[in-house]
Amino acid sequence: MSSASVASIAVEGGDLSLGEGLLAIIRPALDLMEPGGVIAVLSCSRQTEEDLSTWCRIERHEFLGCEEISEGKFRHLIRRGSLSVPKGERETALNLPLRDGMLTAADVLAAVPMPERADPATGFAPRGARAEPGGPSFPYTLTERDTVAPPQIAELYDQAVGAQWDATRDIAWDKIRPLPAALETALGQMMTFLAENELSALYLPSKFISQIHPAYAEVAMFLATQLADEARHIDVFLKRARVKGGLGISSATSSRSLLSLLVLTDFTEAAFLLSVLGEGTFLDLLKFIERHAPDEPTFDLARRARADETRHVHFGLAHVRHALAHDDSLYSRLESSVRRRAATLHNVGGVPSAIQDALTILAARGSDPPSVRRGHESFRELLHTMHENRVKRLESAGFTREQAETLSRLHTPNFM
Amino acid sequence: MSDDTILVGAVAYDPKVVTIWEGIRAYFQDQGVRMDFALYSNYERQVESLLRGHIDIAWNTPLAHVLVQQRTSNQSLSLGMRDSDQDFRSKILVRRDAGIKSLSDLEGKTLAVGSRDSTQARILPLHFLRQESVDLDKVNLLAFDTDVGKHGDTGTSEIDVLSALHDGRAQAGAVGDLIWVLEQSAGRIDANVIEVLWTTPPFDHCMFDALPSLAAEKAERFKKALFAMDWNDPRHRHILELEGLKQWMPPREEGYETLRDALRQHGAAR
Ligand SMILES: [Fe+2]
Ligand SMILES: [Fe+2]
Repeated sequence: MSSASVASIAVEGGDLSLGEGLLAIIRPALDLMEPGGVIAVLSCSRQTEEDLSTWCRIERHEFLGCEEISEGKFRHLIRRGSLSVPKGERETALNLPLRDGMLTAADVLAAVPMPERADPATGFAPRGARAEPGGPSFPYTLTERDTVAPPQIAELYDQAVGAQWDATRDIAWDKIRPLPAALETALGQMMTFLAENELSALYLPSKFISQIHPAYAEVAMFLATQLADEARHIDVFLKRARVKGGLGISSATSSRSLLSLLVLTDFTEAAFLLSVLGEGTFLDLLKFIERHAPDEPTFDLARRARADETRHVHFGLAHVRHALAHDDSLYSRLESSVRRRAATLHNVGGVPSAIQDALTILAARGSDPPSVRRGHESFRELLHTMHENRVKRLESAGFTREQAETLSRLHTPNFM
Repeated sequence: MSDDTILVGAVAYDPKVVTIWEGIRAYFQDQGVRMDFALYSNYERQVESLLRGHIDIAWNTPLAHVLVQQRTSNQSLSLGMRDSDQDFRSKILVRRDAGIKSLSDLEGKTLAVGSRDSTQARILPLHFLRQESVDLDKVNLLAFDTDVGKHGDTGTSEIDVLSALHDGRAQAGAVGDLIWVLEQSAGRIDANVIEVLWTTPPFDHCMFDALPSLAAEKAERFKKALFAMDWNDPRHRHILELEGLKQWMPPREEGYETLRDALRQHGAAR
C-alpha cells in the first residue's frame, strides 16, 4: 500500500464499528475532499476493514487498504469517488455584520449575492448550499435574476417584516361611535369594496410564489409579507364595516375588473397591473378615506393600510423598472397588456355607482344637499388626483409622458 | 410488434420492479432502442422462458445465471451486471452473548439462514462453512424460506435472519454483506448484541443472460444503451437508485465459480 502521506486528512475512529456511528466521522471527512482525495481512518478495530471496504464499494469510493501502524492500531485509506459530488463552492468563512445586534436580510443578500441564472434541478436548495447532482428538475419558470429580483428586494423585505401590525389590537376599536345612517351605509360600502379588492391583491401574487426559483427566495419572502399585509387589510376593513353596521354590495363591474387581473400569468405584467397601476391608485383612495374619515380609528386603519400599500407599490415599481432595464421588448408588452385589459372592460362605464355614492357621502359627511355638492366635488378631484399620480408613477417606471397619459386613461375605472 | 424490439424478462420481486422497468424502457426509447419487458413471478419460469426463446434477455440472479449456463452447455451469452453485483460476500454473524469464538463453535448452536434459493444467505454461506470443515449436521439450522422463487432478491429472509439474531431465536446467522452494511449505516443493527464472526470469500451476483442465438446486432444495441446510463444524470438516477447500482459493468464469469461448485456438490440447496 502507498504510504500514509497520500492522505490529506486523518480522522480518529477509535473502536467504533460501522454500526456504532463510525460513518458519522468518515462521511464529513470525505465531504471535504475533492474526488480522488484520500483520507486516513485511524481505528483500533481490525473488523472495521471489511465493512469499510464493502461500504466503499456501495458508495463508489475506493478502499485503498489497511495497515497496522502500531500494536492494535490500524490505518484505513479511502479515496473519494466521483459520484454524487455536490456542485458549487463550499460556503465557509462568512462573517455577517451585525447592526446594533441586528442581522438584516439585506446584509445576508450582500454576502450571498443572487446568481444571474438559476438551475431548476437544485430544487429547494437554499442559495449557497451545494446541490448533489441527480435531483429532479422543479417546475420553476422565474429563473432569471433580472426578470424577478430587483436589487433592493432584501431591504423591502426587512422593512415589511419590521412594519407588521395587528388588526385585532392596534386599532382603538372602543373609540368608534354610532354614525348617522347614510354615513354608516357609505362607510360599510367603502369597506366592502376595499376588502374585495384586497382579496384580489391576496390571490394574484400568491400564484407566482411557487414559480420563483429559491435562488431568489427574498422575492418570495417579500411576497409572503405582502400576502400577510393583504390578509390584515381584508380583516381590518371587514371589521370596520361590521363593528357597528354591516357590509354593502359587490358590483359586477368590480368583479369583471378583478377577474381580468386574476387571470394574468406573467409575473412582471401582474406586478405592473396590480402594484404599479392598481395599488398605486389605491394609495390615493386610502388617502381620501383618511382625509374624510368620520372617526380616528377609521383614519388610523386607512393610514396603516396605505403605509403597507406604499411598500407594495415600491416593490412593483422596482420590479418593473429593473425588468425594463434588462428587456427592450417589455415596454410594448406592458402597454399591450394594459390595452388588452381595457378591451375586455370596454363596456364598463365608470367607477361602480355604489362606490361613487359612498365616496361622495363620505366626503360630504352626511346627505344634506349642500354637503353632497361638496362631497361630489371631492370625488371628482379624487379621480383627477388618481390620474395625475398614475402618470407620475408610470413616468418613474420608465414610460414617456405621452405613453403614461395614454396608459393612465386606459386604466380600469374600478381603481384596481 | 416489430422484430427489432428487444424483449427482456425480469422477476417482479417487489412492486418497484414495474417502476424500474417502465423507467428503463423509456430510457431505451430515448436512446432510440426499442425494448419491452415481461415480468415473471419466479426465476424458474423466467429461465424456462429464456430457454424456449420467449424472451431475448433475462435479468437473472446468480443461481438463475448458473442454471442457464448449465442448460446451454455454457454457450449462453452474458451481457452485463451491476457494479454492486461484483465481490459480494456473506457474513456469518453471531450474538456476542453466545460464546461463539470460532467456526467450529457453531456446532451445537442455532444458525439462522435465508431462503433455500438465496445465494448470499443460504447456498454459498453453507457451502463455504462446509469447506471450512464445519459439520452442518451438528448445526441447528433455522431457515427462513420466505419468498422462495425470488432467489433472495427481496432481502426479506435476510431481515428475518437479523431479527432472529436480535431477539435470540438464533445464536448465529448468515446474510449478504450488502444488507449487513446497509442495515448498519441505516442504524438498524445493535452492535452491542451482534458481531461478525466470519466473512466468506467473494462471489458475484446478478447477470443479463441471453441465448447464443440472440442476434449480435441486438446484443450490441442493448449493451450500448445499458452502459450509457449515467448516475449523475437526473433522468437516469432514479432508475439506478431503485435498481441498486451506480454503474452497469461488463460481465465477468470467475465470480460464479464457487456457486457452480456448490450446486455440483450439493444440488440446489439444503
Ligand atoms: Fe392591501
Ligand atoms: Fe397591496
